[in-house]
Amino acid sequence: MEKDKRFAVPGDFLGTSEEFTQGKGVYIEEGNLYATQIGEISISDKRVINVLPAVETPPIPEEGDVVIGRIEDIRDTVAVVSIACVKGKEKREIAASTQGVIHISNVKKGYVNELQQEFGYLDVIKAKVIDAKALRLSTEERDLGVIKAICMKCKCNLKMKGTALACERCKRVEVRKISEDYGKGVV
Amino acid sequence: MKEGKTERKLIIDGKRMDGRGFEELRPLKIEVGVLKRADGSCYLELGDNKVIAAVYGPREMHPRHAQDAKMVVIKCRYNMAPFSVDDRKRPGPDRRSVEISKVSREALDPVIMKEYYPKMAIEVYVEVLQSDAGTRTAGINAASVALADAGIPMTDLVSSIAVGKIDGEVVLDLTGVEDNHGEADMPMAMIARTNTITALQMDGHLTKEEFKRGLKLAMGACHQIYELQRAALIGRYSKSEEREERKRE
Repeated sequence: MEKDKRFAVPGDFLGTSEEFTQGKGVYIEEGNLYATQIGEISISDKRVINVLPAVETPPIPEEGDVVIGRIEDIRDTVAVVSIACVKGKEKREIAASTQGVIHISNVKKGYVNELQQEFGYLDVIKAKVIDAKALRLSTEERDLGVIKAICMKCKCNLKMKGTALACERCKRVEVRKISEDYGKGVV
Repeated sequence: MKEGKTERKLIIDGKRMDGRGFEELRPLKIEVGVLKRADGSCYLELGDNKVIAAVYGPREMHPRHAQDAKMVVIKCRYNMAPFSVDDRKRPGPDRRSVEISKVSREALDPVIMKEYYPKMAIEVYVEVLQSDAGTRTAGINAASVALADAGIPMTDLVSSIAVGKIDGEVVLDLTGVEDNHGEADMPMAMIARTNTITALQMDGHLTKEEFKRGLKLAMGACHQIYELQRAALIGRYSKSEEREERKRE
């Protein structure tokens, strides 16, 4: 992509629709192209004109994005997740619906008998978006899954013990689809 | 505006009390991205007016029944600090600030591409720290820059200014004294590129000719303000990129 030295602010005239194809951060009005964002103007080889935003834009989860959320409800075949943020754009609130779902078939590679054995209520999870429109999530990969969980009985933080999670207070052992980053505090 | 006419002369030897000409703006200073925790922000000084605008969102709309399934809802709050005027202002919303909030929202509304964020809300807060007539226009100017700073898709920027009539003359950008003792005050907001007026109010009396002249004056000033808003945004962001590049080298 060829970068134009020019910088645009919303409403700046960029060219006509005969010259360029509309890309991101650009709108057409009466056959003219104008910027909708603050940013650098870039023109691709196929003459698609984009305004690459110089400011942080409102995050909307897209397919392939990694998101952090909390399990709000566990039903027979789906777990409902309230999404807190998109990885890489943690500072800003999500500018779209925040309710995602993980279907039992997207939890892990193997067979899942019961969803309760993979997630617990109020677990913090890391998941990948596989369908941006319905906000369907997946935790199949190794680094995805539960990153923080609490004991069902005493609400204490659970510590990783081998492949399971143990409560330090009541010695209860629980199982989850654990992420590689469990308890590390890193996203 | 107080109706009681005073003997005070507002124009002496063709100059205004602060030495300005009739068609002259007060000095305008715009700073972008001054608040760390806001998604977009702007500090603006217009003469002795000092306002700060903050933009949050798009975020979830509360109450839910006020959501719009097709577009984002814009919430705007204009608020004056108790210390912004000579006599302490009783804090909290009042008739005046509710009206200005509504007017400011409607002035900014046409430029925001609202269909991008259905069911969400964009919150715009305008805080007046010091006031000297024309705070609503200063607020709209600041809010428009803050919205662009927040990365919200917009078709344009909004620029705003007031014109008025003092001692029988149509003049640009009234100060507090001129506003209080003058005959009319007319704030307006517009999209400079297309000359689209998005807000227009008037207090006092102007003849048809005075109105036309005033509007023309204000439109010219809006073009000047637009250039300053643009320069402020470019200054803030093209520079920071250069800085990053230097760091990489």
